[in-house]
Amino acid sequence: MKKIVLTTALLVSTSLMAADSSQFSMSAADRAMYEEMLENNPADIFVDEGSELFDELVTEEGLAKYLGIETKDLPKYIAGFPRYVKNLDMVAGLDQVMQAIMCENGKKPFKLKSKKMFAMLAYAKSLANDEKINLDVNADEHIKAAYKLGRQIYNTPRGGRGLACLSCHSEATVGLALRTQILPNLGKVNAAGTWPAYRMTKSSLRTLQRRFQGCMKNALMAVIPIGSKEMVALEVYVTDMAKGKPIAIPGLKR
Amino acid sequence: MGKALVKIKPKKYKVGDIVKVDFIAIHPMETGLRKDKKTGKIIPAKYINDVKFYYNDKLFTSMDIWESTSTNPYLSVNLKITEPGKVKVTFKDNTGEAGEKSKKIKPKV
Amino acid sequence: MKRRSFLKTVAATAPLAMMSAPVVLSAKEAPKSPNAMDLKTALKTITGGKAVKDSDKIKLTVPEIAENGAVVPVKVNVDHPMEANNYVKAIHVFATQNANVRCADVHLTPMNGKGYFATRVKLAKSQNVMALVELSDGTFMKAEKPVKVTIGGCG
Repeated sequence: MKKIVLTTALLVSTSLMAADSSQFSMSAADRAMYEEMLENNPADIFVDEGSELFDELVTEEGLAKYLGIETKDLPKYIAGFPRYVKNLDMVAGLDQVMQAIMCENGKKPFKLKSKKMFAMLAYAKSLANDEKINLDVNADEHIKAAYKLGRQIYNTPRGGRGLACLSCHSEATVGLALRTQILPNLGKVNAAGTWPAYRMTKSSLRTLQRRFQGCMKNALMAVIPIGSKEMVALEVYVTDMAKGKPIAIPGLKR
Repeated sequence: MGKALVKIKPKKYKVGDIVKVDFIAIHPMETGLRKDKKTGKIIPAKYINDVKFYYNDKLFTSMDIWESTSTNPYLSVNLKITEPGKVKVTFKDNTGEAGEKSKKIKPKV
Repeated sequence: MKRRSFLKTVAATAPLAMMSAPVVLSAKEAPKSPNAMDLKTALKTITGGKAVKDSDKIKLTVPEIAENGAVVPVKVNVDHPMEANNYVKAIHVFATQNANVRCADVHLTPMNGKGYFATRVKLAKSQNVMALVELSDGTFMKAEKPVKVTIGGCG
């Protein structure tokens, strides 16, 4: 299939506006108002629902046992996800681990792309709130490979506009305005530590992989399935960018 | 009817203090002006329109809410603490569905 | 594969995107909501036609630029006693250019301790948000602030 490649000029006129992106920056007063909204985040209710599902279908003891660790070490361990999970023999997210546990308990697992799983994932991740992201990309061969794959996907142009994640999310583009929003440094803004989050424009709880999918759709790239090897690899790569930053679930996003 | 949360801020207060009562409910707050992308039909209006705040069964705030309030509405008022007990928030929507949520009031003397 | 680079500096001073929020249909398509009411009518309904002056006793806090029009925080603080015979009786919040300007009519009592109300509203487009305050003696006052709504970003 012939790839349609837009010229630089066309891309510039329709998207990135390099000059005077300050007009799109948030004032300190506005930022304070939005930060205050975190104290009353509708997603807290979804996380609460997630806790009920978690306590019924997984439990902290069940999760720790499946992962081969002590229950008391769960928060720190969760802060290192996605990880190579021995029982699954693959690098996986918490949601996939919980699916496996549900199966082991004789229950039909929630689909990865379901409201119930999003809520349960948000709750499980919130168990690690205030822990610092400690994903170790050199921990074993599997996570090393996932990190490499994630970086490759991040850097590879795909789809109708020939864009890669790197096209808009690179050191060179941080601070520029794209469709009136300032492009962030995904590591600095701690994307991995603040998703799942309540998305105001969607009025719902959204996960990081789902946000990736939205981004891909907007960039005219084929959407990668949630929980796929590639999507998990991408999450590993983006999570590593925020290494050392604290987990704060649920977040609040535009 | 969707779930709701009632929070009191700050967490520690005494008699005579004025606290903040925060209420959040999960509710679509549908305006009746949006079309379903798949069917092309108008999604009927469904929004919380009546909220009442009680302190030990005494009504201290009542609200008429409209569809211009955001989805999963957040409503916040103050309350002067005079005694222990509870705050109860009742809410109804334009289709007649109703819900309520309470929070204990435990002043530190 | 060559990494695409399209970071040319452009001396563009583009205005903020001021499009309708996706939640509301265009004027042509929008059905007449039974609640539709403009600011003039809403004010008259509540004040009975009384004159309403601006007052700096009302502290209305809204963002200068709202990141999205679906969830815009609004805070109202009224500098006025809340005593048995002298209190803030009601706070009305209006999105002055929405099809239905009314967002919330909050009826307070001295039990509140303070004339305060906060919420989040939908703004169909950039417009003024207004707080109309009614005192127990039957007088009214108001405060208004503009909010720019940007519908931008990817997704």
